[in-house]
Formats: sequence, C-alpha cells, structure tokens
Amino acid sequence: MIDHESLRIGVYVCHCGSNIAGALDVEELTRFAEGLPGVALSRHYKYMCSDPGQELVKRDIVEHRLNRIVVAACSPNLHEPTFRRAAEDAGLNRFLVQMCNIREQVAWVTEDKADALTKAEAHLAGAVRRVAGHEPLQRQFVRIVPRALVVGGGIAGIQAALTLADAGHKVVLVEREPSIGGHMAMFDKTFPTLDCAACILTPKMTSVKLHPNIKLLTYSTVESVEGSVGNYRVKIRRKPRYIDEDLCVGCMQCIDGCVFTQAKFSNAFDQGLGLRKPVYLPFPQAVPPVPVVDPEVCLQIARGKCKQSCVEACGERNAFKFDQQEEIEEYNVGAIIVATGFKAFDPSVIEYYGYGKYPNVYTSLEVERLLNAGGPTGGKLVLRDGSTPKRVGIVHCVGSRDANYHPYCSRVCCMYALKLAHLVREKTGAEVTNCYIDIRTPGKGFEEFYNRVQNEGVQFIRGKVADITPAAGNGDSPHLPERPSGCLAQMGTVPFSGGLVMQVDDTLLGSIRKVEVDMVILAVALEAQADAGDVRRTFGISCSTEGFFLEKHPKLAPVNTANDGVMVAGACQGAKDIPDTVAQADAAAAKAMVLIDSGQIELEPNTAWVDEEMCSGCKTCISLCPYQAITPDEERKIAVIDQALCKGCGTCVAACPSGAAKQHLFGDEQVNEELEGLMNYV
Amino acid sequence: MATVQTSKGADLLERLGKNGDGKPPLGCMQCGLCAASCPLGQAMEFPPRKLILQAESGNLEKVLASPSLWMCVACYACSKRCPRGIELADVLWPALRDAAMQQGIQPPAELQETFQNIFKYGNTLGRSPRQRMDWTKDLDVRVLDLSKETRPVEVLLLVGCYPSYYPRNQVVARAFARLLTQLGITWGVLGAQEKAIGECDRMFGEEGLFETLVEANRKLLDKQDFRKLVVLDPHAFRALQKYYPRFGVWYPVQHYTTFLAERLEQLKPLIAKPVEAAVTYHDNCCAGRRCGYFDPPRNLLQLVPGVKLVEMACNRDNALCCGGGGGGMWLDAHIVAQGGQRLSDQRVAQAAETGAEILAVSCPYELARFEDAVKVAGLEGRLKVRDIIEVLAECMDLGERNA
Ligand SMILES: Cc1cc2nc3c(=O)[nH]c(=O)nc-3n(C[C@H](O)[C@H](O)[C@H](O)COP(=O)(O)OP(=O)(O)OC[C@H]3O[C@@H](n4cnc5c(N)ncnc54)[C@H](O)[C@@H]3O)c2cc1C
Repeated sequence: MIDHESLRIGVYVCHCGSNIAGALDVEELTRFAEGLPGVALSRHYKYMCSDPGQELVKRDIVEHRLNRIVVAACSPNLHEPTFRRAAEDAGLNRFLVQMCNIREQVAWVTEDKADALTKAEAHLAGAVRRVAGHEPLQRQFVRIVPRALVVGGGIAGIQAALTLADAGHKVVLVEREPSIGGHMAMFDKTFPTLDCAACILTPKMTSVKLHPNIKLLTYSTVESVEGSVGNYRVKIRRKPRYIDEDLCVGCMQCIDGCVFTQAKFSNAFDQGLGLRKPVYLPFPQAVPPVPVVDPEVCLQIARGKCKQSCVEACGERNAFKFDQQEEIEEYNVGAIIVATGFKAFDPSVIEYYGYGKYPNVYTSLEVERLLNAGGPTGGKLVLRDGSTPKRVGIVHCVGSRDANYHPYCSRVCCMYALKLAHLVREKTGAEVTNCYIDIRTPGKGFEEFYNRVQNEGVQFIRGKVADITPAAGNGDSPHLPERPSGCLAQMGTVPFSGGLVMQVDDTLLGSIRKVEVDMVILAVALEAQADAGDVRRTFGISCSTEGFFLEKHPKLAPVNTANDGVMVAGACQGAKDIPDTVAQADAAAAKAMVLIDSGQIELEPNTAWVDEEMCSGCKTCISLCPYQAITPDEERKIAVIDQALCKGCGTCVAACPSGAAKQHLFGDEQVNEELEGLMNYV
Repeated sequence: MATVQTSKGADLLERLGKNGDGKPPLGCMQCGLCAASCPLGQAMEFPPRKLILQAESGNLEKVLASPSLWMCVACYACSKRCPRGIELADVLWPALRDAAMQQGIQPPAELQETFQNIFKYGNTLGRSPRQRMDWTKDLDVRVLDLSKETRPVEVLLLVGCYPSYYPRNQVVARAFARLLTQLGITWGVLGAQEKAIGECDRMFGEEGLFETLVEANRKLLDKQDFRKLVVLDPHAFRALQKYYPRFGVWYPVQHYTTFLAERLEQLKPLIAKPVEAAVTYHDNCCAGRRCGYFDPPRNLLQLVPGVKLVEMACNRDNALCCGGGGGGMWLDAHIVAQGGQRLSDQRVAQAAETGAEILAVSCPYELARFEDAVKVAGLEGRLKVRDIIEVLAECMDLGERNA
C-alpha cells in the first residue's frame, strides 16, 4: 500500500540541450509537476545527465529528504543506470527512481509545442503516480560461467579460441565439418605476401588440438542455446564419424585398407574436383587427424555387408564403431563467439557465364584447390582433360557489386584474383587476362602487390564480362557439353575446341572485345552462409540486409551483438580477408574475456516472484515460461521461480489464475497507477 | 532546403530517369556490361555505356546526332543485366530519342512514315480503319463487333495492327478467334474503332503520340464492359500493363500465351491429332526477358502431342532478339547501313542448328521477320515459322480450310 503521507517525490525535467526544451515548454512542465500529489519539489535543468545535474539530484535527496525520484528526460536505455547510481550515492534505494521518456516519445515525434506539453504532462503524471508505489529492492548478481563457446573452426574461430585459451580460459570449439581450418585450409598461398597457407595455418590447428584449455568438437553443430548472458546452457549435436576419436591414432591404414581400392566419391573439400573413398580424411593436414566414414556409400553401413578390411587394417586399435549414433552433449558457458564464416557464391545462376555447362569455366575456389600442393592434382593447374591452359581469363565481380545478386563489394576478390593471376602465370606461364570494373587494393602491401602482378605481364581489361561462349573450333572436345549454354552475342555453338570467348567492353579502349581463352576463372562473391538465418535464431542475434550477422554498432561495437553475451568474428559478419578476420577474432576474444573476467553480472530487477501464500500449485505457469525458469516444489505445492533464469517477460504473471505470480517493478498497483496518471490527462 | 549544384549532365540524367520505374542512370559505374551484352553494341557509335558517359559529361549533342541513337531494338538485355538496376531500354533510350526529336533531329525515314501512319490512320501499316475487320472475312465463327453493339463480354480481344491487316498474321487472328469460340468464351473486338496501343512509339521516344493513343484507347475501352483484355502482341501487353497506368489508365490484361496457358485443362479435350515435329520456341524479348513469362508458351507447345520441344543455344533470359522491338521493325535498313547485322538472320541460324522443323513464335512481328530470314538463309522447306496459335490450331483442326 502506498503511504501517501510520507511521500516526498523529486521531479527533474531535462532540457537535453534543445532536444526537449526546443519542442515543449519545460518551465511549464516543471510547474505542472509541482502540483502533482506527493511531489515535494520540481526542477528543470539543461543537462540532467551531466555531473552538475546529477549533483543536483544527490543534494536534493539529502537536503530535502526526497524518497522518490522521477527524471523526465530521454529513454531509460540511456540514462536509467546514471540516475539509479546517483540516487544510491545519496543513500536512496536505486529502484525508487523512475525515468519518464519525454525525448524519444514526445519531443522528437510531436510537431506542435502545445501538443507536446500536454503529452509530456500525461507521461509525467503517470510516472509520478507509478513511482509512488515503488518499493526498495535488492540488486541481484549471478556468477558468470568461466568458459567460452566458439562456433566455427575457420581461421576466425581458431584464432579466438587460441587467444582465450592462452589467457587461461576454458573454451569449447564447435566445428561443423570433420576438420577445422575453414576456407583458409583450401588455399595454397595467401595474398599479399604469398605465405603458404598451410605453413601458417597448420601449426595453429595443431595447437587447438593440443591445448589443454580447448575442448574441440568437430563434425558437430549447436543444437540450442538457453539461458542468458553469463550463463548459457548449450546443446551440441555430434554427428557419428563411425571411428572413435579417442582410439584412433591417425595412421590412415584404414583408408589404404578399404575394400574400394580406388577413390571414387566426390570430395567436397576439393570442390568436387578430387575423389575420396567411403572412409577418408578431407585433406592431409586435417585436425583432428581422424578419418570419417561416409554412411551413404560405406558398404558396411549402407548395406550391412562388407569384408570390413578397414577394421582389419585398424587392428587392435579397434577404433571402428559402425554402430555409433548421433549424440547430444551439454555445456554451460558464459560467453559465445560466433565465427561461422562465409559461403562462396554459386555462379551457375548467372547463365551468361556458362558455369556448370562449359567444363572450362571454374570458380576461384576450385582453382585454389587445383593450385594447392595437397589438392586433387598435386598442385598442377590442368584442365579437366589433363591439358595445361595457355590462356586464362579471370572475371572479377561475379555476384558482387551487382544489384541482381549482391550489391556489396566482397572486398577480397580483387586481391585473390591478382593472387591467382600470379600463381597461374608462375605455374603454367599462361597468358592471363583479368577483366575488372575497378581494382580495389586498400590494404597493407596490397597496391604494391597489384603493381608487382602488372609487371609480371598479366593483362588487365577494364570492363565487366558480358558473355562467355564456346570458341568456334574443329575437332570434338572430350568434354563437349550436353547442351550449350545461353549466349546473346555469339552464334555458332557446337562443335567447339574447348576454348572459350569472353565478350567484354574494354571501357578504356572504348571497344567491345572478344578474348579467346582456354580457361575462365570466376572471382565469385563471398556471401552469408546458407543457414545464417537458423544460426541467427539459435544465438538470438540479427542479420543485416546482406545476410551477414549484424554487429551492435558499425564503428564502436564491431564485435558485439544485440545479445550481450554473444560476439561475432570473421567473414560471418561481412566479407573480409584473413588479416582483418584475425584482428576481429582477437577483438571478440577480448570482449569475451571482459565479460568472463568481470566474474559476475547484475540481473535485471524486474523478475517475477511467487506469493507463496496465494499459490495453489496448479502449475499453469510452468509450461508457459519461455525460459524454463519455473519449477514445481511438489512438497510445498507451490511454483518456484529461479531469479537467475527469469527474464521478466511477465507471461506467468498474466497467466496465474490466483494472482500469486507477481513481478518486481511491474506490480498491479504500479502499472495501474501509471495508467491512471496517464489517462487523466489524455 | 539548400539547392544542390549538379553538373549539366547529371541534371539531365536525373530528369531522364524520372519517368521510369528503375533508378536514374546516375548510378552507372561504367562497367560496360550493357554494351558487351547488346546484340548490336559492336555496330553502335554510342552503345549504352558510352551514351550514359557522354550524356553525363554534358556532350548530349554528340549523342543525339549519332545514328546509333536509332539502333536500339528494345531487347532489354542491358536493362536486365545492369548491375546497378538502370532501366536503359525502357527509360533512357526513349528519353534521349524524345530529346533528339524535340531538337528537330529526324529519325530514319521508314520509321517516320510509320509514325505518320499511326497518327493519320491509327495503325502502323497506313491502312484504312474501315478495313480493320478484313481479317474476319470468310471466318466461320461469329465475331462480336463491340463498336456496333456494346455487350458484356468475358474477353475483349485487341487484335493489333499486323493481325488485322497483314495477310500472314490474319491467319493467326482467325485461328485464335476459332479457339476462343471453341473454349466457350464470350468475346468481342473493337472493330473499325480499334487503334494501335502505341508501345513502339513510346519506346521510340514519341511520347506525345503515345499519350494521344493512351487517351483515345481509354475513351474507347471505358465504354466497354469486359472482364479482361487479351492481346496478340506482347508489346501491347507490356504497354497496357506498365505504361498506361502511368496515365491513370489500367485494365486487366493478358497476352494470349498466359491466357491460354491458364486453360490447359480446357484445351486438352480439343486436341484432335498430333503434330509430329521438332519445335523450337523463340522467346520474344517483351514477354520473355522483360516480363519473365518463359514457361506459358512452352507449356502450350508441350500440350500438343507429337511436338518435341528443343531449345536453341540462347534461350529464355539469354534469348537473342529478333530485332523487331522498340520500332526495330522499321529500322532494318538503318541498322544494316550502320554495319549492324540483322538479328533475325542470326536467330534463324540458331534455330536451324537445333534441327527443329518448326520455329514457334508468339509475337506478330516475328512471323514476317523470321520467314524472311528463312528465305535469306535458304532454309525454306527445312524450317517453318509458326505462331503458337497455329500449332495449336493444327492439332485441334481449327486452321484455315484451304491451308
Ligand atoms: C577464392 C578465395 C581466395 C581467398 N584468398 C585469400 C588470401 O589469399 N588471403 C586472405 O587474406 N584472404 C583470402 N580469402 C578470404 C578468406 O577466405 C577469409 O578471410 C577467411 O576464410 C575468413 O575466415 P572465417 O574463419 O571467418 O570463415 P571460414 O573460413 O569460412 O570458416 C568458417 C568455419 O565455420 C564452420 N561453420 C560454418 N557454419 C557452422 C555452423 N553452423 N556450426 C559450426 N561450424 C560452422 C565452417 O565449416 C568453417 O570451418 C579468400 C577467399 C576466397 C573465396
């Protein structure tokens, strides 16, 4: 019950410079407040949030024995903590403060000054009546689980996990594929320095595997996340490898021993250019170095009938487990870093480039595999018929900077296209022609690399390639496509020599050219992962219009997200190269440490609680709670709400048939008083 | 509000972009995809990219005076592919042509004559409006002439200029009349009152003439009581669906291919005999690339027993233009004089490569264009050009008695 006699409410109207004062008469509003019941004093000031503004409140609390405070200013998101702290400093319980938002909800959205005043008065009257019913509450803290979850084992996830682990924190690293490494593991060399990707990546991958603070879960995905910042419960789904990771020593004898003497199934890691057996390691440096069995093609699993020569080869190590099932593992973590990377754009939707129809049109990622010493050709750049291309065309901006596909620039393609041009020339001596719209090389050593590649004799044509069509030729190509692709500008289709013509407007020369080549490389865009929408929902974060995960602030909070305990790093947040990815991964690790090292986190005070006298134990609330925060106490026949799990959504309060579920700061009295205060003036 | 200083060229481009539904050409990044995609780009002094570049830097005079201004045949390849979503074919070219004519620059003679014809007679062929109904002579089904008696109908058929007057296309119009009747649909035509819809004028920058036609057609159609318009010409479809509404004039309209493709079940029982032939379909640019109707015409052809549908090298979104759109029907001489190839010749060669015996079309311009190209290529007897309606009519025994 409100004790009106003893109420001494202080009301403070903020000008917010001219933000509020320019839109309504703050003096009039202050006078209005003086007349409200329980108000002991009312003031206005230019910037209430400034130090002098706060001092004013503190002094008044002491001198005028104020016992409730209302600040009519901006959104509580901005300065509620400021004024709560000020009140506390002056010896008043921090929850006896109420913000009244007359900036966003009144000043900024109301044109007429008189209307604005009336509206502000209504809000203020509501706030004053509400605060009268506030009661002192205790601040509540929970311990933060000192363990981080990193999702995605590309270079971003690897880097973040190692940084956290090296700082002494426990990390769970979850990777969807059989091995960590991500896209970087596919490359032979990396721009602009042309470091060998494996040489710089493999040691990091091995460190992850060996690090005592890192629990590595490959071939796994995050099934669900419950709880909130500082205290998440994650369920992780582990796919069966059919080989026990703890027993396997990575000798690879089983692969040699497999009844399939020849590799005959497409290896996804090689972009389908290489073959593997039913039991395989995606690439030689894979971590963990444990093979996987593909259940679709393994005779034993698919048909239940096989000599099992692999098991024989494994011998007494006995690592094969054909009856392995999918498993769910649970972990508690305090912070999460999402580092799920990107997907390479599939150019087959751009019909005029003939990808998927002409065998000699490749994506950049495919060529990365061909150039890789550990790749399907042992690092030899050869066409599908085994011949070496003499003329190679590289098409920039495939799917990027294009309103029909992705309007954004993918940031790394110019540089990797230059890298590929260099490597192709180095390995084959082929004539290389890059067709580009603009060459973008804004990075350390990037422009210098461009210049170097120019000096190596790579040709550049400024123009976006329009059509790729088969060159007229004689003789049957062994790879004659079944159906020639579309083409606007070219007639005469079959038979062709395997050669291709790129039609391009040479915008600097001012003429339309046909450039004949043996191989075309499409510099495809980087796009959001196909399952970014699901991942977004699992972790309670958002996506930007391009589909990448959205950071909290593009400049000032680039690795935080709208969900306080979740950070993002790497190409899942936007297309970027390895140097930027690594920098962002370290930043995300640092932010995770800030959270974990703070040790505890304050809970919102607006949690629900149960009036034990009134609760009948009907359990209505239990199934309704979206956060599984309510459990039944069978002995006492009441519901118990876990204050650490309750998010203050109010569902149970509304649903409780006996009115036993109540909510701090949102009691019936507080809400009704506020409404009545508000409605009296509308 | 502060006035922003823009260059003369930028100003112009902004203005030119105003009447479109795409973005003004100010966002052009000079990538040249339009120029290299243009089937006549190599023969143009100012292919789309250069045209924008010149206009932007204020060299409009040069652009307007160039013969290449009269070479676009509205195939929409540039618009469709433009990475910045600029409406080149629909907006920029017509606007520049309009500007040229305002300055007294004359379009090629053959085209001027066509405009005169539309202006004087309401049709592109320069024939008397009284002969509009000539196509119905000897027709064995009743044609309701709504200009004589207004009655509620399900379908008001806009026959169009070529099918009304040109003997080769009249055959198609008659077959369609029989088909509509067989389907049990109540339908009528505007008879002697029918007028060109005017798409070619608009695309050719004759905005004034176009507006006159919009107004005239609005008056005519407002008097009638119909559920939907059906047109034989995809260009008329596009104009009625997209440009007429800009003047506040809108009617439900369908091209005959979509209209029929929605009635496959009703068409099936009408089939009397197979048409044993390999058929390749030419996507006209207007219904195809521009409006995205790739499947309805194919669905109709596949309905016909015996038809083996084969695809040309360039199809659907990448189909090569016949060269007849946007006024191109009357530009062949001009284009060839500028060193351009007749696109219909190239297209027929592509059709022949498929081994098809029938080149199926669904646009009135194409019969004449492709039949001519077939002759030029010496493919007579090997490749027949047929409107989809004719193929349907054959299998339903609805063709000309003496054909
Ligand atoms: C052809 C090409 C060449 C390039 N060359 C260079 C170069 O030379 N130099 C350079 O600096 N940059 C280069 N880049 C860019 C480089 O690939 C990226 O900067 C880098 O890979 C980004 O790392 P990442 O960890 O963020 O993403 P990724 O490498 O994509 O790794 C993401 C990881 O997360 C895993 N994952 C995804 N979803 C889930 C999920 N739901 N659950 C669990 N795990 C998941 C993936 O399996 C993968 O292992 C190139 C890019 C391309 C396309």
